[in-house]
Amino acid sequence: MIRPRRSLFVKYFTTLFVAVVVPLLLGSATEAWFAFRDNRYDLDELLRVEARSAADRIQAFTDGIRDQLGWVVQFPWTQGEDDRRRIDGLRLLQQVPAIVSLSMVDPTGTERVFVSRVSMNRTGAGADMSEDPAVIGARANRVWYGPVHYRRDSEPYMRIAVAGNRAAAGIVVADINLKLIWDIIASIKIGDTGHALVVDDSGRLIAHPDISLVLRSGVGAGDFNRLKSEVSAADGAAVTTTGEDGKPVVALSVPAPNVGWTVIAQQPALEAFESIRAALWRSLILIGLGIVFALVLAYWRACRMWGPIRQLEAGVERIGMGQLDHRITIQSRDELEQLAVRFNQMAEELAVSQHKSERINRLKQFLAPQVAELVEHSDQRLLDGHRREVVAIFGDLRGFTAFSARAEPDVIIAVLREYYEAIGAVTERHSATLIRFAGDGVMVLVNAPVACDDPAERGVRLAIDMQAAVQSLADSWNARGWAIGFGVGIAMGPATVGTLGWHGRLDYTAIGSVVNLASRLCGLAEDTQILVDPVVTGHVKGSIGLASIGERTIKGYDHALEVFAVARTGAPVRRTSPELDLVS
Amino acid sequence: MAWPATAFAQDSAKAYRIFWVSIQSQPDPFLDGFREGLRARGYIEGKNLALELHFGNPHALREVVAELRRGNIDLAVSSGPATRALTEVKDIPVLFALSGDPVALGVVESLGQPGGNFTGSTFLSLELAGKRVELLKEVVPSLRRLAVFSNSNHPGEQSEWRATREAATKLGIEPVYVPFAGPNELDAGLVAVGEAHADALLVFPDVLTMVHRNKIAQFATAHRLPSMFGWSEYCEAGGLMSYGANQRATYFWLATYADRILRGEKPANLPVMQPTKFELVVNIRTAEQLGIDLDKSSILFRANRVIE
Repeated sequence: MIRPRRSLFVKYFTTLFVAVVVPLLLGSATEAWFAFRDNRYDLDELLRVEARSAADRIQAFTDGIRDQLGWVVQFPWTQGEDDRRRIDGLRLLQQVPAIVSLSMVDPTGTERVFVSRVSMNRTGAGADMSEDPAVIGARANRVWYGPVHYRRDSEPYMRIAVAGNRAAAGIVVADINLKLIWDIIASIKIGDTGHALVVDDSGRLIAHPDISLVLRSGVGAGDFNRLKSEVSAADGAAVTTTGEDGKPVVALSVPAPNVGWTVIAQQPALEAFESIRAALWRSLILIGLGIVFALVLAYWRACRMWGPIRQLEAGVERIGMGQLDHRITIQSRDELEQLAVRFNQMAEELAVSQHKSERINRLKQFLAPQVAELVEHSDQRLLDGHRREVVAIFGDLRGFTAFSARAEPDVIIAVLREYYEAIGAVTERHSATLIRFAGDGVMVLVNAPVACDDPAERGVRLAIDMQAAVQSLADSWNARGWAIGFGVGIAMGPATVGTLGWHGRLDYTAIGSVVNLASRLCGLAEDTQILVDPVVTGHVKGSIGLASIGERTIKGYDHALEVFAVARTGAPVRRTSPELDLVS
Repeated sequence: MAWPATAFAQDSAKAYRIFWVSIQSQPDPFLDGFREGLRARGYIEGKNLALELHFGNPHALREVVAELRRGNIDLAVSSGPATRALTEVKDIPVLFALSGDPVALGVVESLGQPGGNFTGSTFLSLELAGKRVELLKEVVPSLRRLAVFSNSNHPGEQSEWRATREAATKLGIEPVYVPFAGPNELDAGLVAVGEAHADALLVFPDVLTMVHRNKIAQFATAHRLPSMFGWSEYCEAGGLMSYGANQRATYFWLATYADRILRGEKPANLPVMQPTKFELVVNIRTAEQLGIDLDKSSILFRANRVIE
């Protein structure tokens, strides 16, 4: 048996598996992608809002200081008002905690009043500050924001200078302690551990929730500068990068434009992508479950499909091997069950058919081949009883009775077998119907049940052949000392032909005077003789030489009948045996 | 500073040993603030923290240093002059709270990057020394002679005196330096102040004068001396004015550094903290007792707190 190269089971299993897993994978991947995108968007938004808020508050911080400073440069300088200005300065210190000290510079660029929280105040004409970048900057732009510097190598400070509306109002320069921005930055919490920080344009840290990082006087500015440039390069979008502590973070920057600082809002990547990770894990678990489910389902389905098919295949194989009683049981309540039912029906029909065929084969041994053929091909009409013109041929052995009385049974059987073989062969050759053997006698019909052309001549020629065949046998028998001869009688006429018998045993035969006549003529015939009735003679006299042997009285006939004998061709074989039993 | 209190300390099975080293004997005014800070950070004495207190003069503290070297100590905290005694300690983190300049004292390389095993807080008394003279002069414009009362054991005290002298000279005031060495000389020092014929009294902030703030304030009032101090506690005890950082907040905050060091951070990377806010406190009752009209100066609107 040939195994298929690609099993249906594998194909079916694969198809089912793929049919379940592929949509699941696609679905999960899509879901994960959208979850990732939404999360990323939310994260961007969160960081942007926080950074923007911090930048706005830093802006408000510096703007507030700028506005407050504006108060002390509203009026032009006049002589002898240093003390009033000093009070203004002290009040400003009281008002704005971030201002550590401030210098008031008159229109000539000379410092006139200096007030401070830590150093001693000064009034009166002091240092010339006209070359101070703060004074120059404020004169040019009204407001000047100085660079960040670290006082005592630790605290971040910045100077802000504001000029009055008119040059006569002078300029105020304030020293700002940027540690106070810490409150703004420390209050920003992004998620659980995210935070905001502020760096200046060279990456020096200005504000960070861990103030101790700020107080290191710019140490680590390289790290912060890298962070700043990486995050700023993203132009307002969140980027994943390395934070100041070396761990991956998601960060976004917003500039605080008036002071040139950058606010960076960042959240550790681990925390920021927590929900994305959770979504991915959910998807993976779903995919895993789906794959297991698909495996089980596909295996089960494939088995349900494959099992019956294997059963059918095995069934076909067994039927092919002749086990027609094999039946298939499939209860799948579907087309396969239907197929099994059909298969069983087919097997049943095959069995019936084979049974019939066997019976016919058996029958053929008993029936004349033509009759058997008719039975087999169900042309039953020809077998039904009807009258028709037939040629009946009878033959029997002469001297057989005496022979059988003396010979051993197995010798008798051997002789009869040779005899039957010869008769059967001749009959078959002439497509005649061998009706029966009866001991040493034989009956053959021509033109029944199957009609033929010129039955009379065919009958005569058959008889001649038959006589010749048996005579050749008879020669050998005679050579062994058995005096056996053979005579034949032929008659033609209407007879009733058909099957006859009871349901246990049916024979095809012919009934009518023609049969009797043929039998009588056979009885009359001598060894080697073929006696022919006048009807046959009438049909064949043109083609076959026949000689009348005169009129004979035939039993059952009222008057004598002229009988003809087939003219012998060649020298007649006259056997010397004295005892030729001419009556079978 | 508002670091979130975490459960870290409670979770840890380890009980940390902290040495508290101070010149002054109990009651120690600074210890309370530090203890409060530790509690806020989740440390509970007797459970996960052993706070061992060591008080004494510089000589006695040498033995503490020896003990520090021997024992399995996680952190030493010193206030004021005791820091000087601990400068020899190199292998244990030391937190300090100094009025003076820790860079000048040599315990840190710079305020931003201490670089060694010391870090903590400075009150910037040195810078404020001149400011205190100036404020006193504003309230008492007639000030000519100023008694400066100082614990000479205090590290950086000489710098503070120099700054004070310079400021006084600039304002046309004659400073009279009245030093005393340790608690035993305090009373004698006060007698010397009384004999200095001064118009006002300036007391350097220090743990010793802090502990005896009531006595000093009463002395000043009794001798009709307008007094200037460094911390608000003096003013609450009856001093006329104080200007300086809030020391209690500083010690409370110091516990934050203690927490970070116990968690493994290196003092070398923890910058020395400087106060951001300086409070000017004025005691109106004392002013009235001394017959000073505060409305004549700008002091009242500048004051962060007025004690009435």
